[in-house]
Amino acid sequence: MNKQRSKFNRQTVTTFLYPVLFGTFIAILWQTQLLHKIIGADTFTLPLPGRIFSIIHDNAADILINVKATVIVALGGLVLGSLFGYLLAIIATTFPKWGIGGLTIASAFHAIPIIAIAPILNNLTKDFSKDPNTRSMLAKMLVVMITCTVSMSINAYRGFTELKPYSLDLMKSYAASKTTIFFKLRIPNCVPYVFTALRVSVPGCVISALVSEYFAEYIIGVGRQIRENIVLAQYATAWAYIIVACAIGIIMYVILLITEGILLKGRR
Amino acid sequence: MNFMKKALNSKKLVTIVWILGLIVLWEIGASVIEHTKRSPENVLPHLYQILQSIVSRDLVNSSQTALQIVLSNAGITLFRAGIGFIIGIMIGFALALLMYLFLVVEKTVFPYLMMIQMIPILGMAPIVLAITKDIDKSRIVIAAILTFYPVATNTLAGFKAVEKEKHELMYSIAASKYQIYRKLLIPSCTPYFFTGLKISAPMAITASILVDTLQGGGGLGCMLSQSLKHAMSIYVFWQIVFISAIIGILSYYLMTVIEKVMSPYQRKGPKVKKEVSANEQAA
Repeated sequence: MNKQRSKFNRQTVTTFLYPVLFGTFIAILWQTQLLHKIIGADTFTLPLPGRIFSIIHDNAADILINVKATVIVALGGLVLGSLFGYLLAIIATTFPKWGIGGLTIASAFHAIPIIAIAPILNNLTKDFSKDPNTRSMLAKMLVVMITCTVSMSINAYRGFTELKPYSLDLMKSYAASKTTIFFKLRIPNCVPYVFTALRVSVPGCVISALVSEYFAEYIIGVGRQIRENIVLAQYATAWAYIIVACAIGIIMYVILLITEGILLKGRR
Repeated sequence: MNFMKKALNSKKLVTIVWILGLIVLWEIGASVIEHTKRSPENVLPHLYQILQSIVSRDLVNSSQTALQIVLSNAGITLFRAGIGFIIGIMIGFALALLMYLFLVVEKTVFPYLMMIQMIPILGMAPIVLAITKDIDKSRIVIAAILTFYPVATNTLAGFKAVEKEKHELMYSIAASKYQIYRKLLIPSCTPYFFTGLKISAPMAITASILVDTLQGGGGLGCMLSQSLKHAMSIYVFWQIVFISAIIGILSYYLMTVIEKVMSPYQRKGPKVKKEVSANEQAA
């Protein structure tokens, strides 16, 4: 018993230890500029970590404004897209024959590059508001929404239809109405599938928010700042924004994992 | 009559109706915009106008028609995306194999693979360009990065999904390590491997187009941003939108086709089912 426990501990320790060691190894390579020699860069384009963090510290106020813009776009698009996708899945479940065809088309949308959609939506939303910030915000949000809709609609549809064997028969033998089946059986069944969809679309929404900012009219957001700073050859600042962008992606994913852990407790 | 019923019930008809519906929606939007905007072709042109621009012989720049420009640049983009994609596949597969062979490698690398998924690589495109200093190289690098992690994680999942009993069987018939890989592991991980490819093929193309927009030097993205700035006919932009959508979708289907060609045993599934159902009907 005791021996097994110590082995278990060793396993968990190495699970944490190896990645941390690897990370520090890379960081040391980076700080001592050996990494620069390996990939043939200089400290101008690939600044040292210390410098990047000092820039983040110095420009905290500016960075926060841009982070806020990006997070609003990403989260807004995520919520809109997921709700819309969920709605599509409900419609597809109620009318299976036509719904499946619609979902096939929706999944084809997933393969369309974001870059092709972003400029169209920019033009379409030009009349929405006088304020360029508001209207480009809407355009960006719509881009994110499109990317999030697809994964949610397909996964939620699977959640609605891939029921446990005989559960549908059981409900029918109770003479349950379609609404009862939907609320008591299908909706609880699709909760894990919703989280599967979110695991795809949460990182996806950050990425598409950043990319849509490249094409937006109003210059704001983490993604846009990366690009603008590179145009100005301020690589260190651009790197600061890249680190911030990575942090946004990771933090949002961790929040998702925590919520999933709480909501799906005892289900797995 | 029976034929009609079959046609009405078929899946293809449903898809076609959906596509028709989308086209109608587009045309309604285009008509509305035609009457309300000063330059409707910038916002939402009619589909026939786009088609017209595809077949028209008018030169858009000094030597090429709109379609020629789009197609030649699509070729450039696809070529670069393809190279990056193939490099990414090779790295991804090798990494999956290494992770499967050595626990240390898996423990070290896997958390980072998970983290890469959350990092917006496309946002890093400009910085990769700054480091490599060459637009072609940076396109390939980014396409490769975007390709390698879905391939690596999915292939690793495929290696791990092999049942213990199969390993025991291979052990009991004294199969060599090479034979185990050749006959057991590689075949059983192909479906997972192709899932990774299906995820990453459209991504590699998106990446390639995005990198195009950063700097001149040809490619779909470059033409797209030029056309948006009205350096040439705006219809070039619309054609690029459609072409890139088609390429993205086709790349996905290409992977499906390759999968079917490379793993013929999977085709047996539906065929056997059909035979069974035919037998049932006969009975």
